[in-house]
Amino acid sequence: MVNVIYTELLKLKSTKIPWLVLLGAIPANLVALFAFLPKIAPDGTPAGIDIQDMFYRQGMVLVMIAPSIFALFTAYIISREYQERTINQLFSYPVSRARILSAKLAVVFILIVMTTVLSCIAVLAASLVKLLQGSINFDIIWLGLKMNVWVCLLSFGTVPVAAAVTLIAKNVIPAAVLGVFATIVTVIGEIGHGQGGILFPWLTPYWPVRHLAQDIADLADPNPYAVPALIILSATFVLSMAFSLIYYVRSDVHSGS
Amino acid sequence: MDYVLRTNHLTKRYGGKTVVNNLHMNIRQGDIYGFLGQNGAGKTTTLRMIMGLIQPTAGEIELFGESLFGRRARAMERIGAIIEYPGFYLNLSAADNLEIHRRLMGMGNKEYIEEVLSIVGLLDARNQKVKHYSLGMKQRLGIARALLHHPELLVLDEPTNGLDPAGIKEIRQLFLDLARQRGITFIISSHLLSEVEQLATRVGIIHHGTLMEEINYDDLQRKTRHYLEIKVDDDKKAAYLLEQKLGLSDYRIAGPGILHLYGSLDQSASVNLALTSHGVGVKEIRLSGDSLDYFLKVTGGVPLG
Repeated sequence: MVNVIYTELLKLKSTKIPWLVLLGAIPANLVALFAFLPKIAPDGTPAGIDIQDMFYRQGMVLVMIAPSIFALFTAYIISREYQERTINQLFSYPVSRARILSAKLAVVFILIVMTTVLSCIAVLAASLVKLLQGSINFDIIWLGLKMNVWVCLLSFGTVPVAAAVTLIAKNVIPAAVLGVFATIVTVIGEIGHGQGGILFPWLTPYWPVRHLAQDIADLADPNPYAVPALIILSATFVLSMAFSLIYYVRSDVHSGS
Repeated sequence: MDYVLRTNHLTKRYGGKTVVNNLHMNIRQGDIYGFLGQNGAGKTTTLRMIMGLIQPTAGEIELFGESLFGRRARAMERIGAIIEYPGFYLNLSAADNLEIHRRLMGMGNKEYIEEVLSIVGLLDARNQKVKHYSLGMKQRLGIARALLHHPELLVLDEPTNGLDPAGIKEIRQLFLDLARQRGITFIISSHLLSEVEQLATRVGIIHHGTLMEEINYDDLQRKTRHYLEIKVDDDKKAAYLLEQKLGLSDYRIAGPGILHLYGSLDQSASVNLALTSHGVGVKEIRLSGDSLDYFLKVTGGVPLG
């Protein structure tokens, strides 16, 4: 399996994928840096930089952009085999199709982790400075890191949907349209700030981000929709993954497409 | 007899249309099997079924003496293939593309990459991105990839597509050398008669999804030899005269009043004179029999290539 994943990573050499990772990471860094803008505390004194607030901003922007970028990762990695007519050769290897698809999705997960890590650069740099100054303790950084781990895991939940759409269409466009649609719904959901928004699978990663915000606002009540949202996302993942696997394994390959 | 590949009742239907019909292929070790048929005859569909790219509707495929069902991975380690078009990751170099192949084939030795690139004459272009390759170079790289893991069987679908005449000649010689030196068995599909004739030791002719004939090269040669067809009123007397008066023995009586004379194609005038002067009525003498005629007959009059 390691060999198959390695070949999938090698295929991305000299492609635009690294730029797409940066495109996903840069906005979150920029918005996190807005925390450096001068602010006034409720008592009228200048407010300092709040690392937790930076993590919240970073997470919020990442979750907005994630559906589009992550759908594009998935669509490109799967559809290029059909577009570049390498699918005949790929399916002629002594490697099962299920393993090939799993390796492709594993690479998507690696790209999600890379995008998330890079999106944290600004806030982690600020955290490091503040940590060295002794003005924060590691608990706050850990809270932000935990949020990002959750965002990664939950964002991966909808990846098989993009995979399924791509497998049917055999090109990037339908998954890209799906990603843009999901991003629009996510933006509206985040602006609305309602607790029920996380029931939409692409907005479920907003749950840990919102949880961080609640913590900032000292609202400790857990989101009552968290469990149903996780059930919906899990069902989405399982069903779309099962469909993708069955479709990939059983489909005939004609004329390289 | 060792069969590398056999198919039994192999059939593929799409909806109500039968694309491959009850195919019985028999390919022996060391064969260069020319799989001949016009475009749309079912060649590529058959090869795709052999490679596991599409599922047969019915029938069985036996590779290296074992049914393909449930043992596909093991069989694929022993096969190299180019199906329809040699697809590559265009953003990568030839060496990187072969590295992907090496890893997915589970091969340990990296040195083979340079070896096969050298065989197909692409060693100097190994670090060039494949998007800069011509179609002919891609075709060569496809052959290099198919050879990399030392396959026992090479399945090549129209492998000379896109090559110039010099390239075709070179690749043809490469196939012959590989067959001779490494004992590799080949299945080479083509719609070109000339292509198959110059390579194959055995030929399968497919037409409308049905394997019309499987024939050895020697039998094919015999059936496609040029000859003088002589129509006479007395075939026995004519045969006697050919032997006794003209010393020609390479002939056969093809039917009542019809003789086929081989190897003396420029002697129609003397044959005519000898026969008529001895009282044999000659109705017609004509040059006949070539591979195209033969294939037209086998495929029911549909011209090939």
